[in-house]
Amino acid sequence: MSSPASRPLRLALLGESMVDEAALSILVEAVLGAPFVRVQPNLRARGWPSVLQILPAIARHLHFNTNADGLIVLVDADDTEIHTAAHEAPGYFHPRCRMCQLRSSFRRATKTLPPAHGRTHMLRAIGLAVPAAEAWYLCGLDESVGEAAWLAAREEGRTPYTRRELKARVYGTERPNLPQAVAFATAAARRHAVDLRRLEYDFPGFACLADDLRNWGKVNG
Amino acid sequence: MIASVAFRNFKALRSAQLVLAPFNLIIGPNGSGKTSLIQALLRLRSLARLPLREPVPEGERLPEAAEISFRFNPPHDGLEAVLACVDEASCDLLQLTPLPRGEGVDDWPGLRTRLLTLRSYVLDHLAITSTGAGRSNGNKLASHGGNLAAVLAVRRELAPGYYTALCEELTELFPEFSDLVLLPELGSFGLRLRDGGDIVPADNLSQGTLYTLALLAIAHDPTPPAIVCIEELDRGLHPRLLRGVRDVLYRLSYPSDYGHDRAPVQVIATTHSPLMLDLFRDHPEEVVIADKVGRAATFARLADRADLADLLTEGASLGDLWYSGILGGVPEEP
Ligand SMILES: [Zn+2]
Repeated sequence: MSSPASRPLRLALLGESMVDEAALSILVEAVLGAPFVRVQPNLRARGWPSVLQILPAIARHLHFNTNADGLIVLVDADDTEIHTAAHEAPGYFHPRCRMCQLRSSFRRATKTLPPAHGRTHMLRAIGLAVPAAEAWYLCGLDESVGEAAWLAAREEGRTPYTRRELKARVYGTERPNLPQAVAFATAAARRHAVDLRRLEYDFPGFACLADDLRNWGKVNG
Repeated sequence: MIASVAFRNFKALRSAQLVLAPFNLIIGPNGSGKTSLIQALLRLRSLARLPLREPVPEGERLPEAAEISFRFNPPHDGLEAVLACVDEASCDLLQLTPLPRGEGVDDWPGLRTRLLTLRSYVLDHLAITSTGAGRSNGNKLASHGGNLAAVLAVRRELAPGYYTALCEELTELFPEFSDLVLLPELGSFGLRLRDGGDIVPADNLSQGTLYTLALLAIAHDPTPPAIVCIEELDRGLHPRLLRGVRDVLYRLSYPSDYGHDRAPVQVIATTHSPLMLDLFRDHPEEVVIADKVGRAATFARLADRADLADLLTEGASLGDLWYSGILGGVPEEP
């Protein structure tokens, strides 16, 4: 296999809908600073907990049956624990944090796999949208939306905005159809792609994804 | 359109009430009253065609006789329609009662006109692909979809803009096809393959494709009915197509959300698919659970379940919660 440095990366994207995957693809390319080749573009998870249950099988399949360099996963946090800096401590695992759960699941699924397709292991990057990917699409447009605001309100026992409200704010309806939703989400992703700093600052769940992607270069040195 | 329905002694619905939303997804085991609800609506439509009857004096009615009461949204929230049975054999009395408040008390003709447009579908792929349905019965899609070819031909001729939109949405949902091809000489139709251009005739199309095309014919009707009932909405559909089909019906129920300037269509759909139910996680007010305990069936709104948010917080999908039995709406076991 040629070195990933000399050719576009081959990546599989796993999201909860084609809407999120369309936006994710744009954001990933912006972080990497280069186009990538999508492997197994029909990959899809049916939301939580299906994505956690299916991740080991997907990792195994991609490792042995494709030449993917890496897998990128994006999930909504919904009402669950937010992945904070404290979770990044070595050996730390929060059982109600979807980021911690997915990282742990991927590690367990792949750590004993023998090399295949010329690579010892697949890269992985995981993003956690708090509470849902629609919040990322509003970032920079709606000052009240962000992980800090979400966390502060949750600590007071409040829900500052629901998934339904986020949808209504992003799409102008609580019930967007797929073409509408893809158009809005990709427009938002292209807006962020110009300058990712605001999204990274307001949404550490995106910053984790971006850090994963940037660390790939170091891993492959 | 219809705000609520209350049943007394109608089949398994001994004493059941149901508030209806613009869009309603009904789940529940077989025999739990899903179809009875639709039958009640159809009976309301049938009786609305006839002159209203004078109420039967209280003393002459059987105390156990079936009775179904319908209330309506504005502009007809001042009227209650009661469908009552004199005895088991003659369930043909429609009586109107003015309510203490609400509008439209004097507008039975207006309400009646809307009720008469109600359509109910149990789509049948064999009926859809049978040929020879004449052009003359192509104005409204029949209950089993048997005149779909004629409906499409009439639509193309009389409402070409709607026909084009239908074709565009069809090829978005099934990108392997590039076009809908009408074959009027055969009383049939086909879909043109994007790759190679061959036409797949209707009787070679999958059931799911045929049902979706029928749903699109309903959704792209220039004069849609006030109420549409669809049984087994998920039938024949690949799980990944469920979202697209739901969206087609959402556009009927919430037209202004999609920039359409027309009256909303009330949709009542049934399903047995947990994957379809998963799509309603953010809208539990649109889900009705039909349940059956012993011989008595009841209805409950998922949104009225007080601990629903807590149950969902634990991470399970709505479909899995339903399957597990804790939401109700599952078959009884011996
Ligand atoms: Zn964590």
